[in-house]
Amino acid sequence: MLQVKGLSKSFGGFMAVNKATLNVNKGEIVAVIGPNGAGKTTLFNLITGLIKPDEGQVVFKGEEITGLPAHQTCKRGITRSFQVVNIFSRLTVFENVRISVLSQQKKTYNWFTPSRNLFNKETSEILESVGLIGKKDNVCGALSHGDQKILEIAIALGGSPELLILDEPTAGLSPEETTRCIDLIKQLSAHLGLTILFCEHDMELVFAIANRIMVMVRGSTILQGPPKEVRSHKGVQDAYLGESEYA
Amino acid sequence: MTLDVIAAFCSPGVLCQILLGLSRTVILFIVASGLSLILGVLRIPNIAHGSLYMIGAFMAYTVSKVFGGGMTGYWMAILLAPLGVALVSFIIERGIFSRLYEREHIMLFLLTFSFALVFGDLVKMVWGAEYRSVSMPRFLQGSIPIFGLPFPIYNFFLLLIGPIVAIVLWLIVNKTKMGKISRAAAVDREMVGAVGINVSLVFCIVFVIGCFLAGLGGALVAPIVNVVLGMDHTLIMEAFLIVIIGGLGNIWGALLGAFIFGITQSLGILIWPQFGIVFPYAAVIVVLSFRPTGLLKSTW
Amino acid sequence: MGGRKSIILLGIAAALALLPFGLPRFYTYLTALIVTTGLLSTSLNFALGFGGIYQLHHAVFYGAGAYATAVMITKLGYNPWLAFIVGPLVAAALSFFIGIICIRLSKLYYGMLQISLGSLVWAIVFRWYSFTGGDDGIHGISVPSMISSSKGAYYFTMVVAGLSLFLMYRILRSPFGSTLQGIRDNAVRSQAVGVNVRRHQLTAVVIAGFFAGIAGVLFVVVDNSVFPDMLFWTLSLEITIMALVGGWFTFLGPMLGAALIVLLRTFVSTYTEYWTFALGILLMLVILFLPEGILGKVFEIWKRRPLAEVRE
Repeated sequence: MLQVKGLSKSFGGFMAVNKATLNVNKGEIVAVIGPNGAGKTTLFNLITGLIKPDEGQVVFKGEEITGLPAHQTCKRGITRSFQVVNIFSRLTVFENVRISVLSQQKKTYNWFTPSRNLFNKETSEILESVGLIGKKDNVCGALSHGDQKILEIAIALGGSPELLILDEPTAGLSPEETTRCIDLIKQLSAHLGLTILFCEHDMELVFAIANRIMVMVRGSTILQGPPKEVRSHKGVQDAYLGESEYA
Repeated sequence: MTLDVIAAFCSPGVLCQILLGLSRTVILFIVASGLSLILGVLRIPNIAHGSLYMIGAFMAYTVSKVFGGGMTGYWMAILLAPLGVALVSFIIERGIFSRLYEREHIMLFLLTFSFALVFGDLVKMVWGAEYRSVSMPRFLQGSIPIFGLPFPIYNFFLLLIGPIVAIVLWLIVNKTKMGKISRAAAVDREMVGAVGINVSLVFCIVFVIGCFLAGLGGALVAPIVNVVLGMDHTLIMEAFLIVIIGGLGNIWGALLGAFIFGITQSLGILIWPQFGIVFPYAAVIVVLSFRPTGLLKSTW
Repeated sequence: MGGRKSIILLGIAAALALLPFGLPRFYTYLTALIVTTGLLSTSLNFALGFGGIYQLHHAVFYGAGAYATAVMITKLGYNPWLAFIVGPLVAAALSFFIGIICIRLSKLYYGMLQISLGSLVWAIVFRWYSFTGGDDGIHGISVPSMISSSKGAYYFTMVVAGLSLFLMYRILRSPFGSTLQGIRDNAVRSQAVGVNVRRHQLTAVVIAGFFAGIAGVLFVVVDNSVFPDMLFWTLSLEITIMALVGGWFTFLGPMLGAALIVLLRTFVSTYTEYWTFALGILLMLVILFLPEGILGKVFEIWKRRPLAEVRE
C-alpha cells in the first residue's frame, strides 16, 4: 500500500533521513524503531508532507505522492497523530474530532449551516471507538495527558484514513494508559481494518503487536522484517548497545 | 535616445537631488537600524520607535537651549538626547516590557503602540504643540559645491555619519561578546537561557541600544527639520518599510533598504512629483515578490 | 443562544430602536457612528480573534469601501444605491489582492507587509487630489433622501449593521468558522487533517474585508464624507484596541470595545486635549491586567471556564 524508496532529507548539512526504505502492506501493523534521533519523526513528516524530501519517492496505493503538502496526503487517505500532543486546545473534545470529520467530508467552505448540527453521529462513533465519548464536552486543554494522546488518535481517525500513522503513541503514558493504547491499536486494526504504521521506543509494545518492523539508525534503514528476524539481527543489537532497554 | 536619458539622469542637478535625498535617508537608516535590531532579537515591531525619535528631537532642542545653542549646545544635544531616550526606554523595558516577553507577539506589538500613544501626548504636555527649531553650529552651516552645485554641509555631514554608525553597529553586533549573544538569542532564546545567560538582560541591552539609535536619529535631524508633533507618524511607516526591504534584524539590510528607499523616493519625485512618495512602497512590493523575507538574510 | 442572552440582546435592540426619539440628534449621530465602528472592529476580529490572522492594517478595506462609494457618487455620478453595493465589493477585491501577496508569509511578516501595502494605498489616495480629494477628502456626499436625514441614516445603519453582524455570526458558527478557529488554534494540525490553511485564511480575510467595506459605506451614509485618515495605520490599531478591550475571543466584544472607546473619546476630549494619552494608558492596563477583554472576563466568570490566550 505504501512504498518509500530512497527517501532523504538533510537540514543544513545534518542528514536526518538517509535513503530510507519502507514497505507497508494493506492491513498490516508496521513499526519503525530506532534509537533517539534516528529520524523516525522526520520520516513520518516526509511521508505525510509536512516537509519536502530532498530526494526519493513515496508511493501510496500506486500513486506517487512525494512532496505533496500535508493537507493533500490527508485527502488521499493518510492521517497521522503527533508525538507531542498537537490538538485544538481551546475547543472541546467533540469539536476537535468534528473539525477532522468536517475536513474529511469537504464541508469546510460551508458558510451557513451551524456546525453543531453536522456530523454529530460520525463524530460520536469515533469518540466511542476510542473510549472518549464520556468526556466529549470537556475542553481538551484540561484533559489528562493519556486522554490527550487518545484524542490525538481520534482526530486522526476523523479523516477516515486507510493508513494511520502514529508517532510514538505511548510516549509519556503510564502503564495502564499504555495498555489502553495498545488495545486500541489492536482494535483499530482488527475491527476497522486500518493499516497502521507507528514508531515507538517501547520494545515490548512493538514486538507484541507489530507484524513487521523497520529499523532506523542515524537516518538509514538497517532492516525491514518480521519481529523474530529483527530480534536476532546483530546490527540491531549493536545499534541499541549502550541504550538502556525500555521496560 | 537612451544615452540622452542616462545623460539626463547623470546631470549634476539630478545627482545632487539624489544625494540630498540620500542624506535625509541616513536618518531613516539610523532609526531603522535600531528598529531592525529590536525586531531581530526581541521579535517585537516597536511602533513606539517613531515616538522615541520624536522625543530625541525635542530633547535635542531642550539640551541645545540649556547649553546656549551654538557649538556646545549642538554637540551636547547629540550626546545627551539619545542618552535621554535610552534612559526612557530602559525604564519602560524594565518596568513593563520585561514582564511580558512570554506573551503573544501581537500583545507586545499593541503594547508598543500604547507607548507610542502615551509618548505622543507626553511630548505635547512637556513641550507644547508649536514648532521648535534647533540651530546647528556654524561650521556645519552653509554649503559646499558638489558636482558644481551648492550642497548643504550639514547634509554632507549626515552622509558621512551614516556609514560610520553602520560600521560601529556592525562591530558591536559581530565583534563583541554581547553582540554574539544577542544574535544567538535572536535565533533561539531558550537555548541561550539554558546555557546560563541572562536572556532578560540581553534583551534589555538590545532594546536600549535600539532606542538610543532612534534618539540619535531624532537629535541629528533636529537642525534641518521642524521639530513638531506628528513627526513620528510618517517616520515609523518609512522605517518599517526599510526594515522589511532589508531583512529583519539585519543592519546592512537596513542600510541597503534605506539606500533603496532614498533612491526610489528621489527618482520618484523627479519623474512623477505628485506620486513620488509612492515609489518606495512600490519598491517594497517588487522586493517582496521575489524575496519575501527581505533582500538580506533576516535573523528569523 | 441561551434565554438570558436573547433577552439582553432584545433589550438592547429595543433601546436602540427608540433612541432617536428620546435623545438629541447628536446622540443619534454618535450611536450610528459607534455601531459603524463596532461593525468595522467586528470584521477585523473575524480575521484576528477568530482566525488568528495578524490583520494589522484592516482600516484600508474600510477606507477603500468608503472611498469607492464616495467617488462613485460624487466623481462618477452613479446612483448611490449602486455605489453602496460596489463599495464592499471593492473592499473585498482589495483584500483579495493584498491577501494573495501577504498570505504566504507567516504571522508578523504578514502583518507588517499588510501595513506597508495598506500605506501604499493611503499614499496614493492622499496624493491623488483630482480623483480622491487628496488630503481634504470628499465632503457633502449626497445620499438618497430617505436615508439622508439623521433618523434615516440611523435606522439604515442599524439595519445594515445588524444584518452584517448576523451574517458574520452565522459564518463563524458554520463549518468554515469551525475550521477557521481550528486553524487559529493549531495550523499544523489543521493542515494534517486535510485543511488547506492558506486558502481558508485568504477566504477569511476577504470576508473580513467585505464587511469592513460595508462599514465604510455606512460611514458615508452617516457622515456624508470621507477622508484619508480612514486609511491610515493609526485607525487600524485603534480598532484593534477596541477589539482587545472588548474581548477578542468573543463575538460582541469588539462592538462593546468600540462603544466604550468612542464614548470615552467623545467625552474625555471635552475635558482634556490628552485623549491619546488616556487611550495609551487604557491599552496598557488592558494588556497587563485584562488581556481577555471585558466581555471575555464576563464570560470567564459566567461560565467558569478560562478563555486564556494562546502562549506561543
